[in-house]
Amino acid sequence: MTLKIGVRARFFLVLSYWALTPIFAFGQDASVRVEGLRDPVDKSYRRMVAGAKLFEERRAHAPQAPLRFKLLPRNRATKMDGVELDLVGDSFQEPIELAPDNTFVLPRDARALKENASVRPNRRSGTMTWRAEIRSPGVPPGARRLGDLRLECYVGMESGLISNRPPSLLGWMLDVFAEGPAYCDRPEPNYLFFAERPVWNVTLVAGARREVLSVDRLYAAASRDRNLREVLPYCDCEVLLDRTYFVPLGDRSWPDDTLVHFEYMDDR
Amino acid sequence: MRLLLLLVVLAGCASSPRVPPPGPGEIVSASDAQTGLLIGRSTKADVRAALGKATEIPFDSGYEVWVYRQQLREKEKPPRKELVLLFTPSGILSKSRLR
Repeated sequence: MTLKIGVRARFFLVLSYWALTPIFAFGQDASVRVEGLRDPVDKSYRRMVAGAKLFEERRAHAPQAPLRFKLLPRNRATKMDGVELDLVGDSFQEPIELAPDNTFVLPRDARALKENASVRPNRRSGTMTWRAEIRSPGVPPGARRLGDLRLECYVGMESGLISNRPPSLLGWMLDVFAEGPAYCDRPEPNYLFFAERPVWNVTLVAGARREVLSVDRLYAAASRDRNLREVLPYCDCEVLLDRTYFVPLGDRSWPDDTLVHFEYMDDR
Repeated sequence: MRLLLLLVVLAGCASSPRVPPPGPGEIVSASDAQTGLLIGRSTKADVRAALGKATEIPFDSGYEVWVYRQQLREKEKPPRKELVLLFTPSGILSKSRLR
């Protein structure tokens, strides 16, 4: 069991890159005229729009929440100050407004869809990662709502947001990634979420029911995987390991209104 | 005499625990282990001396999380109790929890 959990976690961390890498990668067309970074940490606009569409279809999980996307640091050298974000097509490049917390709303643009545009920060590949950011109003500080996290997982998987880089590509990985958003319906998927600060303890609360998550659900399951340090450079949690947690998204005995409470390492 | 010796040996086998000694990161009783720790005072060396080597998770911040799991007793089923410890960058125990 010990090995099983560790391998599962590593499997997800390493492999998600392949299945989630944009299918319509920018830069394959020799006619691209927009200048910019080589090998940018970009995402497919079409896939992000598909994620936004799924958000609309499943927003019963978080009826009051808007959809935003978020940029996060991927490695120690990444500086998150001064990030600029553009929507880049074959014939145009337009800025996307980035909030101080590095979140943004995906603009709707028919031309970008047609030209298979990219959403492109001014950073190189491997320096940042992406997540959906879905927050219902009224959730107390230091907590998240489980329905919001469910929806973030669906959108993240559909949009191809996770930026892991595999050391190799194995054929058996393909089956798992064929799951797409269905992966989020597993009872305990290893979809990585990031807390606001280094996290010490995570507790699910639904009415009178409370459950403290096992340490195996924190820190990308490092407690079960003695080799995590070796694969960490391939995980988009590399620099956020101490903020990482998994939740039992597919366990429907926990309703969407379940609150996920955090206790942080620096809490007194 | 031989029969008596055999009975003594068999009795010894029957009463001896079948649970092997704790392995790395394992403890016999998570509750007892936690009782002996002092938040704000115990150091990593203190804890290692008392409980043995843990599963250690170091972070870039200097904080470390150590995990001990309670050894399963005979016929006891998982999940095992876990004792989780947090050390500050200066190496002092700052938090602990049992689950």
